Amino acid sequence: MEQNNIIGIYDDPDVLVAAARKLKENDVRIKNVFSPFPIHELWEILGMKTRLPLLTFIYGTTGFIAIYAFLYWTSVVNYPLKFGGKPLNSLSFIIIMFVGTIFVAVLLTLLTFFIRQKIGPGKNVVMIDPRTVDDKFAIVIEKKADFTDADVKRITDLLKESGAVEITEKPLPENYIEEEND
Amino acid sequence: MYKAEVRGELIHGNKTYRQITHEILRPFEADRPPRWWYVGIFIGVSMTLVGLWSMYMLVTTGIGIWGLNNNVGWGWDIINFVWWIGIGHAGTAFSIFLLILRQRWRTSINRAAEAMTVFAVLCAGLFPMLHMGRVWDAFFILPYPNSRGPLWVNFNSPLFWDVVAISTYLMASGSFWYMGMIPDFAAIRERTTSKFKKAVYNILSFGWVGTARGWLRFETAALLLGGLTAPLVVSVHSIVSMDFATSVMPGWHTTIFPPYFVIGAIFSGFGMVLTLMIIVRKVFKYEDFVTQGHLDAIARILTFISLIMGTAYLTELFIAWYGGTEYEMFTFMKNRITGDYTFAFWAMITCNAIIPQLFWFKKIRKNLTIVFIMSIIINIGMWFERYVIVVTSLSKDFLPATWAAYHPTIYDKAFFIGTLGIFLLGLLIFFRFIPMMAISELKGILKETSIKKDKDHGTK
Repeated sequence: MEQNNIIGIYDDPDVLVAAARKLKENDVRIKNVFSPFPIHELWEILGMKTRLPLLTFIYGTTGFIAIYAFLYWTSVVNYPLKFGGKPLNSLSFIIIMFVGTIFVAVLLTLLTFFIRQKIGPGKNVVMIDPRTVDDKFAIVIEKKADFTDADVKRITDLLKESGAVEITEKPLPENYIEEEND
Repeated sequence: MYKAEVRGELIHGNKTYRQITHEILRPFEADRPPRWWYVGIFIGVSMTLVGLWSMYMLVTTGIGIWGLNNNVGWGWDIINFVWWIGIGHAGTAFSIFLLILRQRWRTSINRAAEAMTVFAVLCAGLFPMLHMGRVWDAFFILPYPNSRGPLWVNFNSPLFWDVVAISTYLMASGSFWYMGMIPDFAAIRERTTSKFKKAVYNILSFGWVGTARGWLRFETAALLLGGLTAPLVVSVHSIVSMDFATSVMPGWHTTIFPPYFVIGAIFSGFGMVLTLMIIVRKVFKYEDFVTQGHLDAIARILTFISLIMGTAYLTELFIAWYGGTEYEMFTFMKNRITGDYTFAFWAMITCNAIIPQLFWFKKIRKNLTIVFIMSIIINIGMWFERYVIVVTSLSKDFLPATWAAYHPTIYDKAFFIGTLGIFLLGLLIFFRFIPMMAISELKGILKETSIKKDKDHGTK
């Protein structure tokens, strides 16, 4: 990838949040933020949302219905066993449906997370800055082709003012680019 | 939505983020583990071998080598199964109930508690599998299209519910545990200098980099998995209790069983967590992360649960009398309080309902030696509870002509020792290769929970 990025390194989450807010006020688009732990305020500032809860609900509902269909088919249609005057379509199916729903929903939610996040065993990554898994926080701003030197300077100044301890410019490996929004 | 109030200081010592990473990862970065680790592995392997010998004898000879007889068809195998499952509940209770309740003191304990869950559930699963007798036919229990009709399994049988519940539980708690470790594996990947370790942790970390969006999805997924798994804590042990409660044995056929079992499971699980955390904090010098306050909180919960246990025991006795069934009356008043198994009954009452009440005293909660001993007593007590439930009811039921006494054989005991060995081995391997505390979560609570003194970046 050709594109260059301006990277501001911070060492405090509160400073980082303030910086992100300030950049946003100045209409600078933040491409990505790297942090060693989740920072909740950032999601609001960057306007990030996730539809995972909705998907999980759909998975759970589907699982619930599918498991009931399976139980009904096996016990009533495929091989009905009549004994003791007991109903074939039994109320106690609810137990397996309950547990099975959880099984399906957990598994699919997890898979969705891995697929959406595009992570999995064997994926090789080069960190933008290895310290961001330890004690540093990085704000990444894309340096677009039409940026003038003045633009770059303005952004760098903003980063500096907001308390960045280091400012660098580097290209990002391709697998860092995440969808704009999902 | 994501904010949570916290109590007091959860991490002592004014740590920086770097210090947290460094201190939690210190045990792995040592070139070789300490000597006690090898001693532990040796003990664990020896115990596992004893268990394997017992399993080998069982598979080659048959269930007859256990102390079971025509009347007492469930013995140590089911007692230990329920006991292990109970211990396993702590991890979920810790990491998930407390996650949903947004109790942030869980952060330094949940990883170890979840590890405990996974190993305990593995141990538990061995018992019913081998109890099937022909373990090579164990897959018959799964509902798959077969050439026998296809005759499906009995979906209304509690024994099949057990299979579903336990495999789901193992899968869900295992994946929740692993997901939580991904960011920490990434931290190891970036820190380690050894090429081999880097390659291994690169695979384990799934290429995690920690972007803002990644964290949003991560945290949402963790909450969702937590929310889904929380009902499992209730359902798994309710289902285990239905193995008993859906039968008509006196002493089993009661509606109190599901809540009573669930509470008992959480009780023994918290007891085991206490045992484990006291050892971990001492051995790895994690006193700053697992503070007196953490242990105090667990002890308080135990006091409360112990009261519920006591109430449950009394309720059972009361209903036995109030229900007016002579068999129930006999089982509880004659066969448990007095009779052949009186020791087990009173051991259960003393260990579970009386001794934990000592935690009311602050002095006792503060003295970790006593707390440690009490946590072990709780687990012994919970073992006796399962013993009382399983054995007393079976040995003397409706017909005196069929009464029989139960005595475990050497194979029963060896099998139990074997599972203890497997559990120990699992924990030791966990201590060596997996960060014992969730580093990213600890960092997340650092700011809010420790009294800050660094004014280096007072920009805000």
